[in-house]
Amino acid sequence: MAYGFEAKNDSGNIIINDTIENLHFIGKASRGSSSAGHGTISGYSGSNSTLDGRCIWTYTITSTGTPVAFIKPADYDRWHAIIKQSVSGTTWTFEVMISDTATENPPELYCFVNADDIPVPSGENYGMLVFKSDGTSKTFDSRRQPLAITGGDNAIPPEDPTNSSGTPGTSTGHAWNYATNDHDFRSSNQYTVVPDSSINTSNTMFSCPSIAQAVYKRQMHGHKSSCGCWIWNWCACGYQDHDSTAIWWVMYRSAFRLRYDSVAETGYFDAGWTGYASGYQFSSSWESGGWFGGGGGSYSSGTMPYTAKTINRLDNAYIVADSSRYD
Amino acid sequence: MSYGLSIYKSDGSLGFSTADITWQTLDQFTVAANASVNNTYNEASGFTIIAQRQLVNVPPDAQEDYVPNVSISGNTVSVSPQSGLSSSQCIIHVLAQDT
Repeated sequence: MAYGFEAKNDSGNIIINDTIENLHFIGKASRGSSSAGHGTISGYSGSNSTLDGRCIWTYTITSTGTPVAFIKPADYDRWHAIIKQSVSGTTWTFEVMISDTATENPPELYCFVNADDIPVPSGENYGMLVFKSDGTSKTFDSRRQPLAITGGDNAIPPEDPTNSSGTPGTSTGHAWNYATNDHDFRSSNQYTVVPDSSINTSNTMFSCPSIAQAVYKRQMHGHKSSCGCWIWNWCACGYQDHDSTAIWWVMYRSAFRLRYDSVAETGYFDAGWTGYASGYQFSSSWESGGWFGGGGGSYSSGTMPYTAKTINRLDNAYIVADSSRYD
Repeated sequence: MSYGLSIYKSDGSLGFSTADITWQTLDQFTVAANASVNNTYNEASGFTIIAQRQLVNVPPDAQEDYVPNVSISGNTVSVSPQSGLSSSQCIIHVLAQDT
C-alpha cells in the first residue's frame, strides 16, 4: 500500500488495516427473564414422554451497530444457542436457549461491534485509532478491546434430531384410541463433532447462530369396526367405523456444546439439537350406530407447527474466543 | 516480545497484539424476506470470507423459517432464497480473515 496503516501478526497475516473494520467488545448483554419448559411432551404423560427440556433467557444490549454475540457457558455440559435476534431502535434483544429446564447457570453474552459503532469511553482521549481513507470512518480503536479469536470452523448438526434409531413415522393397525408413544424424542445422542484444539471448558466462548430447525412426529392410527345393534346373530344397524389418530411432535433448534477431553487433551465443538417446543395431538371419531346404536362424534386436540422435516441444515460458521480477555 | 505491536488497555494490561488472530468485519446487513443481495468486497481480495446468518423477529415455533442461501466466490458474497422456498428476514455478518 502507498499510505495508511497495516499490522500483521506473527504468521504474516493482516489483523489491522485501514480498509476493513475490526470488531470491538462493547460489553456483556443484560440478562432478563427466562422461560423453562418442555421437559416432557406437552399435554402427554404416557411412556416416552421425557424430553431434554430447555430454558430460554432474554438478553438486551444497546448499540448503534449490529452486535456479533458470543455465548460464554456457565455450565459447559448444556447445549446453547442464540435462536433469535431482534432490534428496536438501538436496543438489541437476543433469545438464548439452553438445554435442560434448570434456570441455574445461565450463560453470559459478550457483544462485539465494528469499530465505527463502538461507544467511546468518556475521558479516554488516548490510544490508537486507525481511519479509512475518508478520514472519518474508523477501522480500529484501542479504547475498546478488539476481538481476538482462538479458533473456528463449520458446524452442521445431523439431520435426525431424535435419539431413537431413525426418524419417527406413521403406523396403522392399532386399536381404536391407542395412544402409547414408542419413540425417544430426546436429542442428547444426536450431534456431530468438530475437533478444535483451541476449546476448553473454562473460558472459551463461541459465536454460532442457530439456523437449523426440525419438527418430527410419531403418528399412530387406530381403528375398530363394531355393530350398534344385534338381532340374534344379525347386525341389524350395520357396522360402524371407529378411527383415532395420536400424534406426538417435537420442534427442535440446532444447539451447540463446547467439550474438552482431558485424556486426549483436545477440545470439541459439538453441533446438535435441543427441543424447543412439543405437543400431543389426538383425534377420535366414530360413526353413528343408527336408531339403536348410539350417535356418532369426534374429538381432537393440539396442533403441530408445520410438516415434519429438517430445514436450514446449511453451512454454519462458528468462531471461538477467550472470554477472560474481556472480563 | 522483541518486535511487533502491542496495544494495552487503560489499566495497563495487554489488550491486543501481533501475536493474535482475528476475524475482521467486512459488512453487516439485513436481508428482507425473499430478497437477494450481491456484494463484492475488493478490500478483502486474498482474504478468507465467511458469513454468519441470524434469523430476525420470527416466531420460531409457528412457521417454517427458511434462512437464505449464502454463497461466497472470491470476494463476492451472494445471498438469495433457497431454491423454491420463501426466505425469512435475516441478519448477515460478513467476516474476513487474512490467511
